[in-house]
Amino acid sequence: MKQNAIALRDINKCFRVPLDRSTTLKYKFTHPRSTSRYRELHAVRGITCDIPHGQFLGITGPNGCGKSTLLKILSRIYKPDSGSMSIQGRVSPFLELGVGFNSELTARENVFLGGAVLGLTRAELRERVDRIISFADLEDCADQKLKNFSSGMQVRLAFSVAIQADAGILLMDEVLAVGDARFQEKCFDIFSRYKREGRTIVLVSHDLGAITNYCDRALLMDHGQIIDDGNPTEVTAHYRRNIGADSDRTATAIEGSTNVAPSRWGTQEVEVVGVRLLGPDGTPHQTVYTGQPFTVEVDFAVRTSVPEVVCGLAFRRSDGNTLSGPNSRTGGHPIRLSPEVKTGTVRYVVPDNPLLGGSYLLTAAIYDEHAARALDHVEDVLAFRVADEEGRLGFVDLGGRWDHTASSIDTMAHSALSTSQ
Amino acid sequence: MMEVAELRPPDADAFEPEFPTRRDTHRRNFNLGAELALTQFKLKYTGSILGYVWSLLKPLMLFGIMWLVFSAFMKVGGSSPRFTMQLLVAIVVWTFFQEATSSALSSIAGGGNLIRKAYFPRWILVVASTVTAAMTFVINLTLILVISVPFGQLDLGLRSLLIPVFIVELYVLVLGISLLLSALFVFYRDVGQIWEILSQVLFWGSAVVYPFSMVSAHSATLAKLVAMNPMAQIIEDVRHALVTPHVPWTADIAGGGLYLVPLVAVIGVTAVGWVVFHKLTPKFAEAL
Repeated sequence: MKQNAIALRDINKCFRVPLDRSTTLKYKFTHPRSTSRYRELHAVRGITCDIPHGQFLGITGPNGCGKSTLLKILSRIYKPDSGSMSIQGRVSPFLELGVGFNSELTARENVFLGGAVLGLTRAELRERVDRIISFADLEDCADQKLKNFSSGMQVRLAFSVAIQADAGILLMDEVLAVGDARFQEKCFDIFSRYKREGRTIVLVSHDLGAITNYCDRALLMDHGQIIDDGNPTEVTAHYRRNIGADSDRTATAIEGSTNVAPSRWGTQEVEVVGVRLLGPDGTPHQTVYTGQPFTVEVDFAVRTSVPEVVCGLAFRRSDGNTLSGPNSRTGGHPIRLSPEVKTGTVRYVVPDNPLLGGSYLLTAAIYDEHAARALDHVEDVLAFRVADEEGRLGFVDLGGRWDHTASSIDTMAHSALSTSQ
Repeated sequence: MMEVAELRPPDADAFEPEFPTRRDTHRRNFNLGAELALTQFKLKYTGSILGYVWSLLKPLMLFGIMWLVFSAFMKVGGSSPRFTMQLLVAIVVWTFFQEATSSALSSIAGGGNLIRKAYFPRWILVVASTVTAAMTFVINLTLILVISVPFGQLDLGLRSLLIPVFIVELYVLVLGISLLLSALFVFYRDVGQIWEILSQVLFWGSAVVYPFSMVSAHSATLAKLVAMNPMAQIIEDVRHALVTPHVPWTADIAGGGLYLVPLVAVIGVTAVGWVVFHKLTPKFAEAL
């Protein structure tokens, strides 16, 4: 009776990425023998996996591990090169919100269009369109064109349409990556409902917290293969240990800055010539761990002699919020430079990293002695990751300690009673 | 006690897993195709002041020019009865052929996001594109009938009942060519240019702007050849069925069993289009 919703046997998918793409017939005719050079990208290798009905499966892994390709194979968008796949039931892929939406149409018209892409019929949608629009809080502008909507409104509409899908097997790719916290909460709510209803869900995500909280089972993929399969808590812990080890590429800037086009200003009297993040072992890393020490090193070169400088750093979360902006002046460490100094290195040592898991950007700057005039200010010079093996929620570890007392007297009820009188 | 409000989606009825039947799948595919075709039809006219009038103006403009040059100045239609109407009907048929194939050409390449992010049979995009053009065609043809019949410009008869047959033949031809072109266009952008040239050749070789009798007067062999061209056959037979019986059926011009040639050609083109399209379908998502 209990049949698998999805059964995969030795699925392989290889992309041939042409090095010089010939999209004109002229090329084909003039180079009839050239089998055009290409690079083989073995995105999915020998995946075998059974997903029973009603299971909530999470797939995670580093970028380029093949998890999205696998999801597209399940969605029948890509055809595997070899292997067999059997799917029992109707499949609804959510690879993106609002697929098929057209910005020239009104919200109402888009409900019909987006719904049709999800496999809903006009009659089914006519019955639901008002509820869909009210769920998205868009009653007042149901007949306005989508292009006049804010991106938040568009996402809300797309989401209310998406949750109408009545397929038994749902395939989702990073749907959670969009939207604000409230929206994500809504998503999780829907996930719980789907789970209660016994639908089969495959979720591809980088959000290890979501995978631990919602999935019954998790797969960890790397280089196109499944390297771990089982309990979500264990699999995500495995992944956290792995990213640290995997991304041990040196993070040295400004030579080898990890960031795309940092913005930079200043008088250039003193220049920032290198920024590094050192792990506990004293070597450059791109990933540091919560609770462990790390050091930021800033190399500078003096072009025009200045008597004293202030070095400043800013640790910024990828969403742009600065979490900490220490500088050597407030830190009580004056950096005096005698006229013969040509180069030097400033160190900022964090003995016990309070940052929790996530991506961060580092800004490094050298200012004059009053911390007023920028000599060299380099925004977002370095991108790095913090890995937290325990997967705690939030930005920082406040380092608080837990304690509790217990009593046999119902003190809470007492106080509630006294205030209500 | 505070009650925790549960956020319920609009349709929280108990869910029952279902297994898709063939019929169910067909119904959903049909629905998607219809929705896409209607949307394209609507979008074509949103934001323009004249809206649908453009779809009427374009063939009318072409008709006006062709009539002036070929009928008024060069008198090519002189001997053929009701040549003005013949010209108008032919141009409406041709405009459909031209617009349907050229819009379908980019239907797959232009539907990149849908193809990369959703699953449905890919030919639906091509069908939707051609159906959009067909809607315009049917409306235009109906308008011609409604306006021309009271003025006695059309000589209708029992033979006019064959019109739907020619329309179906025309649509199948358009669909076959569109499947072929749209699939090839994903991989070779030259197809767009090639088709522009080919359709020009076809335009002049299909007796659109001159009467078929001109070809027959020139050479009977040439007339037989032209009559085997499916577009020429469709246009001439529509003229016979709708405008005047004095224009012969192409079957009579071709003679013998040759009247089957255009039909075989239509089926052949469509079969080739279908096979090529299916062969290339799995590669669309990767190439776009």
